[in-house]
Amino acid sequence: MWFERLQNIDRRVIYTILLIVLITPMIKPIGIPLSVNSTTRQVYNLIENLDPEKDIVMMGMDYSVAGQADVHPQAVAVAKHLANRNIRNIMVSFVADGPMLAEKIIGILGDRVTYGQNIVNVGYLAGGESAIKKFIEAPGTTFINDHRGKPLANMPVMAGIKDINDITLILDFQTGSPGYQDFLRQLPAGGPLYAAGIVTVSVPNVMPYLNSGQLAGLLQGLRGGAEYEVLIEEPGEGAARMDAQSLGHVVIVAFIIVGNLAYFGSKRKGKTHGGGDKV
Amino acid sequence: MKRSVPLLIVFVIGTFLLASYFFNFTLPGTNITLKQGASTINNWGVIVTAFAVGLASINLLRIHGAKIINQRSGWVNSAILILTMFTFIIVGIYSRSNPDNESAAKLFSNLFNYAYSPFSATMYSMIAFYVASASYRAFRMRSLEATLLLSAAVLVMLGNAPIAEQVWAQFPVIGKWLLTVINTTGQRGIAIGVAIGGFATSLRILLGFDRGHLGQGD
Repeated sequence: MWFERLQNIDRRVIYTILLIVLITPMIKPIGIPLSVNSTTRQVYNLIENLDPEKDIVMMGMDYSVAGQADVHPQAVAVAKHLANRNIRNIMVSFVADGPMLAEKIIGILGDRVTYGQNIVNVGYLAGGESAIKKFIEAPGTTFINDHRGKPLANMPVMAGIKDINDITLILDFQTGSPGYQDFLRQLPAGGPLYAAGIVTVSVPNVMPYLNSGQLAGLLQGLRGGAEYEVLIEEPGEGAARMDAQSLGHVVIVAFIIVGNLAYFGSKRKGKTHGGGDKV
Repeated sequence: MKRSVPLLIVFVIGTFLLASYFFNFTLPGTNITLKQGASTINNWGVIVTAFAVGLASINLLRIHGAKIINQRSGWVNSAILILTMFTFIIVGIYSRSNPDNESAAKLFSNLFNYAYSPFSATMYSMIAFYVASASYRAFRMRSLEATLLLSAAVLVMLGNAPIAEQVWAQFPVIGKWLLTVINTTGQRGIAIGVAIGGFATSLRILLGFDRGHLGQGD
């Protein structure tokens, strides 16, 4: 009977336990040490090896607000790294939420960047993969004005961009579609390097593209953002939330174990009482 | 006629775009190359998609408007949705039309950051609680396959949690091996299968055998 009660525990108890476990480290941080994944270090090294005089980066702001808890810390950390190294950064969006999230990041960067000089938010282009194809064919002329309505033609950040090969690296932050597959289908062979920042649930799907070298680097969910903050030595939202995520994972594993113990316990009890062979 | 013309358009445009990936010659009687023509058609696609966003808004208005007018169950929610939609549309259009008006830009930014963003993130975050409940109630080792699946899931989760690494340093190693070796093998097979299936479906649509995109009827 005890096992049956354990199996059928009120779900509100489960929700409460999870809530307490997630909130407690946010109020009182633990500071669990964090090691850095090799795929995160690959992205870091890509940016460290860029030449501020001639290299240009395109940041794809293709994540929605729903997934920003996972991906936004990555985008902020990478944008900070690009700003610290004074690399030209063109922020493009192929999802509707993207431009506003880009503006949020530009606000966070503050005095590190000069809008129009080394960073610009060109805005949103509807069309999914068609829009990506259009941008890749003509990155310098697809957008006439930026997201703020200012003409792009006179901005130093856009100077010298004639085709996609003038962009050195594409860093795309995404939560779904359009995503890495759309970019990889449209990018020309020998063109710019492509790296992605994705939500944790998409990591298994992306692995074949990383192993084949089509992806030059990968930031994996909230942990990827936290690792990048460690690498640039500027802890932020990612690092702050890792304690909660870490404990949340452990609690879910504990739930799985306890649930299965209760299941096998009640199964064994049922055999003992019903079978009559064992007492 | 009603279905023949759309099917013909799909076939001509689709074949044109497909051919542009393999050939590049000048179209007879013009000085436009196949790739330039394909690029122009692609631009039309971008414009059509932009109009589709507007069409979706009109459709929302039609459905929820009818619900409000007929006072069907949940009409209050529909009224809030329509009001919110028009608030964002009006503020957004005014803000984009007057780029020098900082107050309008600030208002739209505040609506996005302090209303839309938290609500949207909250809805997505509730999934965590459903996963916790499912992990306790439904993830059972009822068979060998279920046991293998559950074991792999637990090991990958522990591999991703920094606290588990402090308990045993091999958790991340095992998790990474599962992702990069076992998972990648399976995902490659799935990706190839999806690509072949997608090619077959595309061919069926191009040739008119698959007419689901035309709506109901023959």
